[in-house]
Amino acid sequence: MDAFLVKTWQALISGLGIGSIYALIAQGYYVTFITTGALNFGQGEFLMMGALFGLTCYVTLGLPYALAVAGAIILVGLMGVGLERVAIRPVLRHALSLSWVLSTVAISIILKNAAVNIWGPEQIKFPSPFGDTVLRFGEAGIFPQELFIIVAAIGTVLLVQVFLKRALLGKALMAVAHNRNAAAVMGINVQRMVVLAFVISSALAGLGGILIAPVTFAWAYMGTVPGIKAFAAAIFGGLENPVGILVGGLVIGLLEQFFGIINSNLKEGVTFLVILLILAVRPTGLMGKKDIEKV
Amino acid sequence: MRLPVLAHTGPRQWLAFAVVIVAVVALPLVLDDPFFILVLQSLAYLFIVTLGLDILVGWTGQISLGHAGLYAVGAYTTALLTTRLGWSFWITAPLGVALAGLCGALLALPALRAKGPYLAMVTVAFGFMAEVTANRWSLTGGPMGIMAIPGPRLPGGAEMTPTQYFWLIALAAVACQLIANNLLTSRVGRTLLALRGSEIAAETVGVNVYRWKVLAFVVSSAYAGLGGVFFAHQNGFINSDTFVFSLSVSLLTSVLMGGSGTLYGPLVGSVILNLIPTIFARLHEYHLYIYGGIILITIVFLPDGIVGSLLKSRLVRHFRRAPAAIEPDRGAQAFAHTPEGERPVIAVRDLAKRFGGIRALAGITLEVRAGIVHGLIGPNGSGKSTFVNVLTGLYQPSAGVVELRGMPVQGLKPHRMAALGVTRTFQSIRLFGDLSVLDNVMVGFHLHLRSGLAAHVLRTGGAMDEEAAYRRRALALLEFVGIADRAHETAQNLSYGQQRLLEIARALAVRPTLLLLDEPAAGVNPTELQHLSKIIRDIRGAGVTLVVIEHHMELIMGISDVVTVLDFGEKIAEGTTGEIQRDPKVIEAYLGSPLEAGHA
Repeated sequence: MDAFLVKTWQALISGLGIGSIYALIAQGYYVTFITTGALNFGQGEFLMMGALFGLTCYVTLGLPYALAVAGAIILVGLMGVGLERVAIRPVLRHALSLSWVLSTVAISIILKNAAVNIWGPEQIKFPSPFGDTVLRFGEAGIFPQELFIIVAAIGTVLLVQVFLKRALLGKALMAVAHNRNAAAVMGINVQRMVVLAFVISSALAGLGGILIAPVTFAWAYMGTVPGIKAFAAAIFGGLENPVGILVGGLVIGLLEQFFGIINSNLKEGVTFLVILLILAVRPTGLMGKKDIEKV
Repeated sequence: MRLPVLAHTGPRQWLAFAVVIVAVVALPLVLDDPFFILVLQSLAYLFIVTLGLDILVGWTGQISLGHAGLYAVGAYTTALLTTRLGWSFWITAPLGVALAGLCGALLALPALRAKGPYLAMVTVAFGFMAEVTANRWSLTGGPMGIMAIPGPRLPGGAEMTPTQYFWLIALAAVACQLIANNLLTSRVGRTLLALRGSEIAAETVGVNVYRWKVLAFVVSSAYAGLGGVFFAHQNGFINSDTFVFSLSVSLLTSVLMGGSGTLYGPLVGSVILNLIPTIFARLHEYHLYIYGGIILITIVFLPDGIVGSLLKSRLVRHFRRAPAAIEPDRGAQAFAHTPEGERPVIAVRDLAKRFGGIRALAGITLEVRAGIVHGLIGPNGSGKSTFVNVLTGLYQPSAGVVELRGMPVQGLKPHRMAALGVTRTFQSIRLFGDLSVLDNVMVGFHLHLRSGLAAHVLRTGGAMDEEAAYRRRALALLEFVGIADRAHETAQNLSYGQQRLLEIARALAVRPTLLLLDEPAAGVNPTELQHLSKIIRDIRGAGVTLVVIEHHMELIMGISDVVTVLDFGEKIAEGTTGEIQRDPKVIEAYLGSPLEAGHA
């Protein structure tokens, strides 16, 4: 296999890997956006907490991997309860409709400081439970963790959708998303559903963190960029379209990795350039609902 | 609710500025310490950036999480031109400002139609693009940065001392505040606030939303660029570490902390927020806790910001001067037209509008004769509002022709329709809620005001006189609809019925030849109803043609010369009120067919 093909093959796998993480985080944006019109701008720091907390469970305490994953998801999910109470509920009725942007960023700043205090500012290696043996496909090498990320992240995204469409609790949440007042009249506790949305959103970020850590290292500053790129993924497909978000995450992941083959500088900028172009043409994302304002 | 100060600059304001200038000059002389002067410099240029951001966020109702990028454009422009080409600061500084302004115009393109989180994304993406460029491009030097940026030189050739440089920045800051004050308390600020209140309503009175948003972005970006220029020459060194997302967050927090949409909020907010790192320097380990905590507390407990909350407090309101009394200018009825004879003002042929698979209008042909009240009725969902929306340019028709006095106008934007004399009111009231009642009408005069940006920055006599003359006319219009006594009230404090009347007054300020009223009687009480039908007849009497959508049959039958009935997007009947009341098809549309009625 020639060198370019090898690179392409590797870019495909790592693109899908990082892309499915974006899709996972962005799914969290979707769940809270449809229920409250707000989202956690510090989602990246929740991802970071998932990674570092998972690290403590898995490496420091020596718990089995599955337990560490469950622990990280539960802890970060619980942080979602706090987030909703402190940074979302008090500001949702404010005159400036985007107050939640700054209030959630404030939480993320505090979390970063906490992470530095607890785990230090250095990058910490997170051993993959699947080992570091490279799987060989011809001349291309792939870490088993990358395959696991793709399966686990996309699987979880699908699970969340099944939950929202099939489970009674999930349907209640969707009812709140469609029409708050009607849902309340039907006896659904709207406030509780909003909390649930933020718990799901946060738990997804936590899972994303523990999944990605073996590939990127775990450290206090690992979350900001993935958080923003996942936001770009959600915007790409349209915040209210779960399929669009999944596609958006994967496309952005792939785009980055493929441009990375050509030039590492392009890799960093391409996501944002693409998103600017898309929004210039389609202001509600590529697969978003066209916004017709009723007059 | 924020109360923007739309007062005019008086001698008191000039005096206040004189005091500020003396203080600015004296400050570094009194406290002559190199570190202190450096802090003063930073406070001054960060204030300029914050002020610019407030023009965008507070006054226009947009959001920017990418202002660090515009700040970077100013900084790198001047840094590169002075170090690489050896150009003088006095040339590179305006270039930095201009380039930042240009980037603002570019940024406005995707930002124009994007709303909420999508708009936030546009600005975040721009900020990150700038950050990545600064970090990765060989020209900008990345984290190694650009070194040995020369400071500005005095005319004699000597480089400015830090104190002199502070004076320069502070002078620019004072000028920036003055320009902002003059702009924002003039028709410019009023128009921007109108955009924040309701873009759709602003369009229908003739505001070119696109142009004004671009203007807000350009001015805001130019301010950011100027701040960046001053930053670059402060230490003679810049690198990519400065121009990051967290700087944009901090700028936005400054705006909100001070009070968005106020004149002096940016000053208060930026000084306080930017002093915090200096004050808490010893608590380095915890400074992000403190910083994050401050943002959170500001957002949650001080949504109006410091200045905004003060302005709302009883104490300050007590001391605020009452607006100067003005006399209404009843001279010529501002909206009177000479009747145009019997030919149609507007003629519509086969007009259709589809939303996806739904046919809202299925080919309507209709003429509205000049000088009459043309009633438009029909059951809910019959397409009346869609018809008005297409006629006023808010919706693009899917097919068909709209002719205004023989000229095809279908597909023109609302502000173009307004310029052609077609405007409207709304079924769901769309006032500029933060503006006073009088200022709502003043926005209606948008197309008739001639004085431009420069005239308002300089407060020329012409601009002031024009403003005063139109305020008197606005009061006359309020008198006409009967709410002149509430002229200085904030629009959203009016009763429902009064708000509807204000919408009519605002529409009349456009001086329309064709005025479309979308359910003017909805939610209006019986006494007000009498008043309303008199107003409609008076408007007709002044030569304005009206199209009135209404469910209130008594009103519509009382005022209309011709009535058209729509059902399922089609015209089912047209004629005088008497004819319509007897038409079997109309009766069927409203009451169901005799057969169905029999079953019921």
